[in-house]
Amino acid sequence: MSRVDCDLIIVGAGPAGLYGAYYAGFRGLSTALVDSLPEPGGQVTAMYPEKPIYDIAGFPAIQGRHLVARLVEQASQFNPAYLLGDPARGLTRRGDGRLEMTTASGTVLTGGAVLISGGIGTFTPRPLPAGSEWLGRGLSYFVPSLDAHAGQDVIVVGGGDSACDWALSLEPVAGSVALVHRRAAFRAHEHTVSRLRSSTVEIVTGAEVTAVHGADRVSGVEITANGTTTARPAQAVIAALGFTANLGPIRDWGIALTGNRFISVDTTMATSVPGVYAAGDITDYPGKVRLISVGFGEAATAVNNAAVLMRPDEQLFPGHSSDSVPAVA
Amino acid sequence: MPYIIAAACIDVTDKSCIEECPVDCIYEGARKLYINPVECIDCGACEPACPVEAISQDRRVAAGQQEFVADNAQFFTVPLPGRDGPLGSAGGAGATGAIGVDTQLVAQWEKA
Repeated sequence: MSRVDCDLIIVGAGPAGLYGAYYAGFRGLSTALVDSLPEPGGQVTAMYPEKPIYDIAGFPAIQGRHLVARLVEQASQFNPAYLLGDPARGLTRRGDGRLEMTTASGTVLTGGAVLISGGIGTFTPRPLPAGSEWLGRGLSYFVPSLDAHAGQDVIVVGGGDSACDWALSLEPVAGSVALVHRRAAFRAHEHTVSRLRSSTVEIVTGAEVTAVHGADRVSGVEITANGTTTARPAQAVIAALGFTANLGPIRDWGIALTGNRFISVDTTMATSVPGVYAAGDITDYPGKVRLISVGFGEAATAVNNAAVLMRPDEQLFPGHSSDSVPAVA
Repeated sequence: MPYIIAAACIDVTDKSCIEECPVDCIYEGARKLYINPVECIDCGACEPACPVEAISQDRRVAAGQQEFVADNAQFFTVPLPGRDGPLGSAGGAGATGAIGVDTQLVAQWEKA
């Protein structure tokens, strides 16, 4: 069991959480970011990394993945700790007043304050309908290491960015790669799809994996297209079928919610639990507008108020970032 | 700001949209599917999945389909036949299962 002690625990590494990590660092607070997804960026990374976003202040247009990369870079000057792919589970207050959070992997974090920038909640990969019981025995929902698939016959299932990117990057490493997609059209970036078509990846559209076979581990699959089922060898099945999100364990933290879906906050972004703040899509109050731009402002408000709660001698106003020597050019 | 499902879904209920929705906010009536406007995050994943093009943003509804904006909301805010209270924000269609009844508008709808 590992332990992380910091000033501010941030739950959710989407735009609001990443910006909160920057602001906390700017105020001299140490932070840890916890997220259910294996990469930072929240909904932007999980659902529309390729989409241009037109309403970020100062950026007439910026692609989702580029916005996330810049937010990560902006926060990185203060070295936040990242616990990714590790959903938050429990939140309690210790005898000494500090807040304690546990994660799915069993990590225990303590902080003087918590910022919940959890958007639409915990992301869970959509299970492969034909064989979710093979998870960890040849079936996976992510590709943390390409080398783990060296020489294997790999079946990638899905039609989005993750499926197409993984199929492409596995091509030179794996023995063979087949990409199985239920529809004819791919949702991934056009450039990625055209690279796929000129690669050795076998593209099987209008098809589904209808069975997974093996002894201890996956050794083959059945693929059904137009009513015809074909068996083929496979030592790895990677299901990239997207995610579902649910508020999940946040509902059990004793925090007042609105409509069983959002966290009620006051003008300081404080929730009903002292020391626990919220920012971004997850908050609710009269007049709330759910946009990234609004989430940025809420993150700054939340972090500065949390800073004063932990350090009552400090001012709420953090000073101007332009007053300090820039850490990045 | 949500997406809504209009008349073309009635008696079709293909449910491809349910497979795409990342927040599980599309609920199943008897003759039609309904998007919960409070739970919808406006991501648009459902729209291209619909084989009968029944889905659109509530601010870009096809001519003659305007009444379905309010009707989608009423599925959740007005008690449905056989229920004491409204469905509200049920926290996901997977949790409730098929609801099995429709709003008055849809129950009495006669397909052209």
